[in-house]
Amino acid sequence: MKKRFPFWTVGLLGILLLILVPVLYFLPRPQSKTNPADFIPEKPVHVDHKDIINGEFKTGPDVTRACLECHEDAAAQVMKTTHWTWESKEFDVPWRDEPVTIGKANQINNFCISAQGNQKKCMSCHAGYGWEENKAYDYTKAENVDCLACHADMGTYGKGNYGNPAEGVDLLASAQSVRAPNRENCGKCHFDGGGGNGVKHGDLDEGLYFPQENLDIHMGGEKNMQCIDCHWTKDHQVLGRMLADNYTIDPKEQVSCEQCHIDQQHKDERVNTHLSAVACQTCHVPALALEDPTKVYWDWSQAGQEGREDDHFTYLKIKGEFVYEKNFAPTYLWFNGNNEYRYILGDPLGEDGITYINKPAGSMEDKTAKIFPFKLHVAKQPYDVGNNYLLAPITAGEDGYWTIFNWDTAFELAQTRMGLAYSGQYDFTTTYMYWPTTHMVQPADNALQCDSCHGENGRMDWEALGYPGDPIKWGGR
Amino acid sequence: MKRYSFFLLLGLFILTLAIGFGSVLASPVPAPDQQISVLHPNFILLDADGVNVLDSGKSVSTMRTCGQCHNTEFIASHAFHSDLGLSDYEISTESWNSSRGLFGEWEPLTYRFLTQNGDERLDLSTAEWLMLYGDRVVGGGPATTSRDGKALTDLPMSRNNPETALLNEDGSASIWDWNKSGTMEMNCFLCHLETPNTRARYEAIRAGQFGSANTATLLGLNIVSKSSEGWVWNTSAFNENDELKSEIIGIQDPTNANCATCHGEVHSDSEQALTVNACDLNYPQTATTGQVIAAQKINESGINLSDKQTLNRSWDVHAERQLQCTDCHFSPNNPAHALEIQGSSPSHLLYDPRKLNINEYLERPDHNFARGASAQFNVAPEFKSTMRRCESCHDTNKSHAGWLPYNDRHMQVIACETCHIPKMFAPAYSTMDWTVLQLDGSARTECRGIEGDNTTTDLVTGFQPVLMQRTDIVDGKTLLAPYNLITSFFWVYEDGFGNLRPIRHADLEAVYLDNDGYAADILSAFDTDSNGKLTENELVLDTAAKQDLIAGKFKALGLKNVRIYGQVQPYSINHNVVDNKYATRDCEVCHNSESRVTTPLLLSDSAPLGITPEFVAGVNVTATGGIINKDGSLYYNPVNENDKTYIFGHNRNAWIDWFGALLFLGTIVGVAGHGTVRYITARRQRGRAVETKSVYMYEAYERFWHWLQTIAIVVLLLTGLVIHRPDLFSAFSFRNIVVIHNVLAALLAINALISILWHVISGEIQQYIPHPYGFIDQMIAQAKYYIQGIFNHQPHPFHKSKERKFNPLQMVTYIGLLGVLLPLQGITGMMMWLVQKVPSIQTWFGGLPFLAPMHTLMAWLFASFIVGHVYLTTTGATPLEAIRGMVTGYEEVEVHE
Repeated sequence: MKKRFPFWTVGLLGILLLILVPVLYFLPRPQSKTNPADFIPEKPVHVDHKDIINGEFKTGPDVTRACLECHEDAAAQVMKTTHWTWESKEFDVPWRDEPVTIGKANQINNFCISAQGNQKKCMSCHAGYGWEENKAYDYTKAENVDCLACHADMGTYGKGNYGNPAEGVDLLASAQSVRAPNRENCGKCHFDGGGGNGVKHGDLDEGLYFPQENLDIHMGGEKNMQCIDCHWTKDHQVLGRMLADNYTIDPKEQVSCEQCHIDQQHKDERVNTHLSAVACQTCHVPALALEDPTKVYWDWSQAGQEGREDDHFTYLKIKGEFVYEKNFAPTYLWFNGNNEYRYILGDPLGEDGITYINKPAGSMEDKTAKIFPFKLHVAKQPYDVGNNYLLAPITAGEDGYWTIFNWDTAFELAQTRMGLAYSGQYDFTTTYMYWPTTHMVQPADNALQCDSCHGENGRMDWEALGYPGDPIKWGGR
Repeated sequence: MKRYSFFLLLGLFILTLAIGFGSVLASPVPAPDQQISVLHPNFILLDADGVNVLDSGKSVSTMRTCGQCHNTEFIASHAFHSDLGLSDYEISTESWNSSRGLFGEWEPLTYRFLTQNGDERLDLSTAEWLMLYGDRVVGGGPATTSRDGKALTDLPMSRNNPETALLNEDGSASIWDWNKSGTMEMNCFLCHLETPNTRARYEAIRAGQFGSANTATLLGLNIVSKSSEGWVWNTSAFNENDELKSEIIGIQDPTNANCATCHGEVHSDSEQALTVNACDLNYPQTATTGQVIAAQKINESGINLSDKQTLNRSWDVHAERQLQCTDCHFSPNNPAHALEIQGSSPSHLLYDPRKLNINEYLERPDHNFARGASAQFNVAPEFKSTMRRCESCHDTNKSHAGWLPYNDRHMQVIACETCHIPKMFAPAYSTMDWTVLQLDGSARTECRGIEGDNTTTDLVTGFQPVLMQRTDIVDGKTLLAPYNLITSFFWVYEDGFGNLRPIRHADLEAVYLDNDGYAADILSAFDTDSNGKLTENELVLDTAAKQDLIAGKFKALGLKNVRIYGQVQPYSINHNVVDNKYATRDCEVCHNSESRVTTPLLLSDSAPLGITPEFVAGVNVTATGGIINKDGSLYYNPVNENDKTYIFGHNRNAWIDWFGALLFLGTIVGVAGHGTVRYITARRQRGRAVETKSVYMYEAYERFWHWLQTIAIVVLLLTGLVIHRPDLFSAFSFRNIVVIHNVLAALLAINALISILWHVISGEIQQYIPHPYGFIDQMIAQAKYYIQGIFNHQPHPFHKSKERKFNPLQMVTYIGLLGVLLPLQGITGMMMWLVQKVPSIQTWFGGLPFLAPMHTLMAWLFASFIVGHVYLTTTGATPLEAIRGMVTGYEEVEVHE
């Protein structure tokens, strides 16, 4: 039998192995690292709907019905999301006997305070059509799902009163423009929340439509990332939960840096020793509202002054006094991803003069908590002196506060529309609302460095965080 | 009534506001911060007589005041900051330095000579020395005590004694009355207050009011103010016991800002953009070395640096990581730092827990702070190298693990700073030329690291320090470390007693200046463009005529033996450390024909003609290179061979390379010629078949051993070539090539050892051992065959068989190759590798500078052998038969009857 390979080839192979194996073993090799960009979801190939969609659309639901002809499950999927319900799942909270839900549908914040009763304007950010005051909203009506809000080219579409398409929108053109959502779809509501550019978040504003790398390394960097590249979406379920509209959040439902940045340790061992106590955002989101200012203080008690000149950044008659800030250091708190408290309508005011709309959970003793950056929004907002709870004025509409500047009427209207009893006596109290900041991540070069937090000029209030003193001297946890 | 009260209130309100604003503007109240010791009690301020200043209204005495609790006598006598060289003050005929500190050591940067007792001419008297250097003199030492240990106030007054005289502008001397001026005690406030008023203090010193300097340090702190009568103590700063309130004065551990007052640029607020002046002697450390202590990123500073955007690192990683000056330069008896007194512990004892308790320490804190071994500060040399060094805190084995080949060897020859302070970004002096004088009385200077002189409008380029041999004072180890070199040129003369002295500044002015301008003869000699002004370019002694002119004018002033002296002072660079990310990491930076190690440093762009400066003596830095003059510019040119180092890829022995290359090429030419002749003769004799038979010539192991060795040697030669000439093979990673070379060398050695065993056990070793009888004849026969027979197609003189594979020439060659060359190459290579583990090898036969060229030479021999060896394999029965035999084991060999 003739051997297929002569014997000497085996020998040669052995020799080569004998040389290569030790060489490869001893060669210095760079540590293998996963590439975060590999985790950016692949988007389905775009299907141009220009030739698919035709017909005459008079109303939003007309369009939705057309969408549902092919995308049969789409509305049902959307209707499960908070984009539609505006209400969280039920939570058992220790300060209430009954389970509660939280959302714009039924709770308040310390910006415009209440969407309830103010549907006319507020619903322009609801992913549906025709939600009106004084009418129970039909959450089961599939044709009311607004597909265009997230899928239309925002150059063709806009929302008006009660969440219906704005007047003058060419619905056919909008419907033909549909595609995967981009930053402009999300940004329309999430960049302008609170009534204007950058008002609410401090880490989300219109600068992110066309960001530079120095504004946001993800969206302005070479990957030109879209919101849904991190807020992974499946069956219309968008990953990521808004802290203020929840009590606890399952980490599985939350976006995290680690979903793409897997085992990416810093080169510097000293930096890595921080990771057990410091969130990525703390160093990599060193400042808020980098270019466009955000609102940090809102005093409703000054609203309604006759003759005082309006100025977008300091005073509006309908809203009161504000303070906007730009490029400032966040507030740092221990945070485990949940709320320790979320104000539920009817809850009494805080005892120390401050009522928390939400209070992030976590402490130095909580091993799951890390130091995390927040935007703190402080407000002076109305409360019921008799009932000792926060009030939710009706602002929009005919008899709303913004029209007739009468607080009593605004609260009485709320009593009828929302059932929030009004004793007839109101005053203003200080409220705190915490917004976790996680966008506008900076290039590594701009991250905080040691002396940003440690030493004489450091930005951390160590003792408030529970440390005996600067951990560089007193030790960490 | 109501109206009155309204106006009264309004008036009071305005008054309060005015007072408030006034006091805020006049005297900023220091905001107490966490640095300030909460432990420090309120205390009484005493004057020199021990009376409360509130009663006496006199200047505060720090020695008395602080001495109430702290042993100020102990502190003052254990403080080189205070001593400044006074304690080792000694006049010597050999050197013009009378001490090793600021008080007595010649300092050409500031250019004033502290006149010694008995000098012919008065230059700097003690009083003027104090006025000149006052902002850097902490007090005590020479500011209170005479050179022979008496109180300055007790000295008999004489204008002939430099300790009690002052040089007047007209050149005469007047008497300095220390009792009138007062003396300056060690100023505790200067370093232990958050905001000492250094400006007021210096103004007092400049004005010769030494006795009030320490009190002036408190001005503006709402404690004391000055009136025409004297000090006015602010009683509200004192409590009911007449004690100064601790929170008002704010006693604290010295901060970086305190140290910066005298030492150099320190910037602790990262929010503020850092700016520095180029070469500003008010910041001596920065002006002489470019060192800046700041946590701020370099690209966030206000300096117009070239390529600034990329400089995304802090000025100093230790500052960034919040180390304070005092963390390294601590008090040696501070129990927190617990410096072992060197050599005083028994060797078995790792840690001695017996330390001062905190009370003992606070009473008598040793102020001879731990320090390095810089080349520029020589005061109190017994305390040099008392601080912990880089490797006391950092484990270099761990931090360099996995990427730096030969870690130990690198650590043996290179100081951490060399790679971890790759570049300075603030400008520093390069030249201080006092042979000429500018109109404002300053020297002609050159500054490196900047194109111009303004760091915000001119381009700052920074500079690479030069690497020199630093010998550690404690362990005697010599390492390459980074330095800035400042060259100074100045005139010297011999005084009436034969002492060599720098020419006085006053005499320089007399020679160069006339009223407010240059003297006419100076202008006509220097002003080449005849515009009536002397620019920096014109102001240089670059011709003999100019030098003669100046020397002649000095002579006219009665100065003898006038000549120009040039000296080079190395300035150690130990700060501005960068972490691993920014440290020098590319092997090719040093291992290349252009090596970082031998990068020259410009000493002086335009030096006085014919002057080669000398390195200052008595420092722990050795200049093993040479000073070269290139077109009037002076360079220091390091020569690493003089340091007994051999830098692979940089150092080469040209002679060996020439010899090796010739040998190698000669072999190729030889075999090519031989082969051509063989080819031609073979064509002529075509058809003469030789009878052959197939023989199992090489066993499997023999073939395995041979080919493993072949591949290893070839790869070793190639990788060795890359290591030898990385400049020609820059496509390869030097680091990886070194690793491959080492691994294959180990494989080759193991292969050789196993094969020796095999040859011995199997008896095959005999193949290599010639039988002496007739061996020479046999060799000649074989040689004749190669020279003649082979061309005539004669049969091989010796039959090749499994039992006798080698002809006599092969035997000799292989004995030489495998028995001599290979082991030697292995041993030299192994020793080069072992140098890092056994440093003493470096002392055997000249160490690396011998081993490495030997290794190279033998590599050439191997390369030449391979050419010949491969060629001779073609001389078998057919040209490829021998190779086939070594591959398959079976070879067709000629049949010999």
